[in-house]
Amino acid sequence: MALELNVNGTTHSVDADPVTPLLWVIRDSLGLTGTKFSCGIAQCGACTLHVDGQPVRSCSFPVSLAVGKKITTIEGVSSDGNHPIQRAWKDLDAPQCGYCQSGMIMSALALLTKNPQPTDADIDAAVTNACRCSTYHRVRQAIHLAARLMQTDSQSRA
Amino acid sequence: MKDPKQSGLDRREFLAASSAAFVLGFWLPPRAAAQTAPQHGASWYTEPAHPEINAWIVVEPDDTVIVRIAQTELGQGVWTSNAMMVCEELQCDWSKVRPIYASANRDAREMAPQWTLAVPGAGATDPNGGGEPTFGNRARTGGFGIPDSLYRRMRTNAASSVKDGRYYLQLAGAEARERLMLAAANSWGVDVHELTARDSVITHSPSGRTTTYGKVAQLAAQTPHPNPEAIAIKPPEQWTLMGTEQKNLDIAMKVTGETKYAIDVRVPGMKWAAVKSCPVYGGDVKRFDAAAIRSKPGVLGAMQFPIPDPKLTRGRVFSGGVAVIADSWYQAKSALDSLSIEWTVPPERAAFSTASMRAALENALDEPGRVRVNQGDVDAAFARASRLVEATYYTPYLPRARMEPGNATVLVTDDRVDIWIGDQSPQETRFSAAQITGIPEENVYLHMCHLGGGFGRNGNGPQAEQAIMIANAHRGTPIHLLWTREEDFIGTTYRAMGMARLKAALDADGWPLALEVRTGMQQDGFGPDASFDIASRYHVPSYRFSNHTTDFHVPVGTRRGVGQAAHEFYRESFIDELAHAAGKDPYLYRRELIARTELPFKADMIKALDMAAEMSGWGTPLPAGTARAIALEERGVETGGSATISAMVHTVSVSRDGRVKLMRVDVAHESGFGLVNPLSVKKQIEGQITWFYNDAMHQACNIEGGAIVENNFDRFSLSRIDEDPPIINIQFFPTAHWLVGMGHDRGTSVQAAIADAIFQITGKRFRELPLRQHDLRWG
Repeated sequence: MALELNVNGTTHSVDADPVTPLLWVIRDSLGLTGTKFSCGIAQCGACTLHVDGQPVRSCSFPVSLAVGKKITTIEGVSSDGNHPIQRAWKDLDAPQCGYCQSGMIMSALALLTKNPQPTDADIDAAVTNACRCSTYHRVRQAIHLAARLMQTDSQSRA
Repeated sequence: MKDPKQSGLDRREFLAASSAAFVLGFWLPPRAAAQTAPQHGASWYTEPAHPEINAWIVVEPDDTVIVRIAQTELGQGVWTSNAMMVCEELQCDWSKVRPIYASANRDAREMAPQWTLAVPGAGATDPNGGGEPTFGNRARTGGFGIPDSLYRRMRTNAASSVKDGRYYLQLAGAEARERLMLAAANSWGVDVHELTARDSVITHSPSGRTTTYGKVAQLAAQTPHPNPEAIAIKPPEQWTLMGTEQKNLDIAMKVTGETKYAIDVRVPGMKWAAVKSCPVYGGDVKRFDAAAIRSKPGVLGAMQFPIPDPKLTRGRVFSGGVAVIADSWYQAKSALDSLSIEWTVPPERAAFSTASMRAALENALDEPGRVRVNQGDVDAAFARASRLVEATYYTPYLPRARMEPGNATVLVTDDRVDIWIGDQSPQETRFSAAQITGIPEENVYLHMCHLGGGFGRNGNGPQAEQAIMIANAHRGTPIHLLWTREEDFIGTTYRAMGMARLKAALDADGWPLALEVRTGMQQDGFGPDASFDIASRYHVPSYRFSNHTTDFHVPVGTRRGVGQAAHEFYRESFIDELAHAAGKDPYLYRRELIARTELPFKADMIKALDMAAEMSGWGTPLPAGTARAIALEERGVETGGSATISAMVHTVSVSRDGRVKLMRVDVAHESGFGLVNPLSVKKQIEGQITWFYNDAMHQACNIEGGAIVENNFDRFSLSRIDEDPPIINIQFFPTAHWLVGMGHDRGTSVQAAIADAIFQITGKRFRELPLRQHDLRWG
C-alpha cells in the first residue's frame, strides 16, 4: 500500500507492505544505503536511525509506525559531512571498516541531543551498538569531542 | 553469441539446473549493466581518463594522483598504508592522492613488470632492503593468484599487506617518479640529475624552472624507464611520509554513509536472492515446496543450488540450499521464511556435537600424535622431576561474525562475468567464476568494494560461489545475493575447536626441566604449529611438541589470529601456572626463561616484557579484587626472519559477584625498522585487544546435531562500549628487523591475562574459554 514517509525533511510516497521493516524501505525503496543491515533482530544497532529524534533499530521497526513522523538517517545528519559529530569522528579517525558507524553515530547523536555533556556512564548506557573492529575506544573519545564541538558551535551562534 | 533476450533466463537451462524449481518470467535487462559507472562513494576500478604511468599510478592534469590498491580495505587501513608506500617514493602531494581498487581482471591478463619481481636487499634484517615477502605457493588454483601476475598477491590476509607489498609498492612509486622527472628533463633538454621533485612539483635548480607532475604525466606515460632494475627504494631513515601518523584517506565517506559496501551495490535490472543452506555442513536439499511461495509479493522464482565444489572453497564442504529470487531482498527473504524445505543430511555429520567432538579431541591428545619437535629427553626429565605440572585447555569454534553479512552481486552473460563484492581474495573468486560459468578468467571482472569487516573471511566462504551459481542460472540478470545473519553463521569458516595438554617437569627451584605440548584440532585446522614449532619460546632443556588431529565436518579457515591466538592462550596460561607453582613473579619468570634461550630475537622479547611491566607499574599495590597479568605475543621469533613481538600487561578487576572488568592495558610493541602508519597500528591494536577479549570472555559456537547453535547476536555475544578498557597505553620500541605484520595476532595476551587475573583474585583457575561460562564469584 502507499505510505507517506518524511525522511531527512523530504516527504516520499512509497509502496510497501505496512509490516516491512523500516530499514528495507529506507535502503531499497528510497535508496538511502547509509543505514546498514547486520543482524535483523535489533541486537547490533547497525540499522539505527531516528524516528522523531529517538534512536530506533530499523531492522525490527515496521514502516507503518514511522508514518507521520520525522525520520532522520545518517544521510540527514548534515549536508556536507561536517556536523560536529562527524568532525569529531574524522578528527579521531574513529572508523575502521566503517560498517557499523552510521548506526553508532546515530545512537551517539541521539544521546548528545538530549544530554549535551554525557559522562562515560551515560555513553555506556546509551551507545549499545556493536562494532566488530572494536572502534569503541575512539568512539568514546569522539563522543566527548563532539560534545565540546557542539557546545562551541552553539556558543559561536549565540 | 546468443540473442541477449534469451540470455536472461533460459527456461530449460534453469529447470535442468534445479529440478524442483519453478520459473516465472524475468524482466530481461540490457547487458550493458556491467559497464555501469561507479556510484558516488564507490571505490571500484575505473578505466583511467589519462594514461597511467605504471600499473599502480595515474597522474591527472590537476596533479590528482590515483593509486591503485590491490588489497582490500576492511578497516585495517590498507587503503591508506598502501598509498603511503607508493607516495613515499613518488614524492607527490599527499593531499591530492585518491586510491581506487586495482583491476583483478587485468591481473588475469597481464604479468608483473620484471622490475617488481626481484626483492632488493638481504632479507628481514636488512634495513635498506625490501624485507622478507612470502608469496606462498602461487598455483593458479591454490588461492594465491597466478604466479607473478600483475598485482601478484591480491589476497588480504595474514597481516601481510605491508610485508609482501612494501618493496614493490615503493618500487612502483620510485619508477613513476623517475619517469616523471625524465619527462621533464627531456622536455627542458636538461640533465635529469639537475632536477628535484617534491609534493608533485619538479624543479630545475640551475634555472629555477618548475613544472608539476600533472603537466608532464602524459609525456612520462610514453617515456620508458631506461634501467628499471637499477631503481632503489628509500631506507627508513629517508622516509618522510611512511612512519608518520596519517588518518585514513576514506574516513570522510565513512561518517556520512556514502561508502558503497557490496551490500549497497545497485545495478540496473538487479534482482535479489535470499538463500537458505542446510544447517548441517554437507547436507543438501531433498525437496522444497516451491508452489507455496509462487504468489508471494515480488517473488520471481526459486531454485536449488548444490554444495559448492570443494575445490573452489579450499576443500571445505559447505551445504546445498535453496535460493528465492525477488524484486527486493525483504520479499525474497520473507518468501523463503515461509518455504518448507526438507534436507538430506548425512547421518555421520548430523551426529556431531560439541560434546562428542570434544571427547574425540581429548582422545586424540592421548594418542602419540605427530611429533613436530623433540629435543633433549623429555621422558627422562619427567621421571626425575621434583614436581610435575599438567594442564588441559580448551577453546571453542569461533566465527568471524563481521558486521556486513556475506553478499555479492553477479551478472553472467554469454561471454563475461561481472562480480561486485567485498572480497579478501579476488583472484580465487575470479577462478571460481571461471570454473562455474565456463567463461575464462580473462573475461571475469571484479568490482571490489570495501568490506564491512573481514577478519579472514571470504577466501574460504561460499558467498561468491553461491551467487555465481545462481546468476549463472539466470544469465543476463544481475543477482544480488545477501545472507541473513543466521546464514552468515553457516557460510563463514570457523577457527577450529582446539585443545592442548601441556605438561612440565620443574626442578627444585621451580624452573622447568622439560616441557611437553600436545595440541589438538581437526586435521584441516589452520595453524596447528603456531607458537610452539621449532623451539620452545621459554627455555627448557627438553622439549617435545606434537599435533593430535581428528576429522570434523565444520569448515575451518583463517580467522583473525588463526591457530596462534588459541595457542598463545595455552602457552601463556601455562607459563603463569608454572610461575605460580614455582612461587615466582610471572613477569620475572618469563624474563628469565626467555633470557636462557638461544632464540634470535630474545633481546627484543625481553625488552617488550620489561617495557610493558614498567608502563603498567608492575608490582605496585592494587585495590582488592584487582590484579595485573602479563603475557608475550610473538610471531616468527623462532626463525630469525621477519617477526612481530609485543608484550602486554592487563589490569583486571573481578567483583565479588563475578563481574570482570578489563581496566587498563599497557602495550609494548616493537616497530622494527619502521611502521608505515603508526596511527593505523594503534587502531589495530586497540581493536584486537577487544577482539581477543571477546574470545576470552564471551564467544563460542557450539555444535548440536551437526549444526551451529549460536547463529545470531542474541546468542553469540559481542562486547559493547561499556566493556572497552578505559585505558590503553601503547608504546613502540625500535628493533633491527622488518615486521611480519600486526593486523591479526596482537592482543592475544588478553586471554591468558584475564584467566590469570581471575586466578589471582578468586583462587580459581579456568582453562576453558569463554570465561563467562564459569562461576567467577569470590570472597
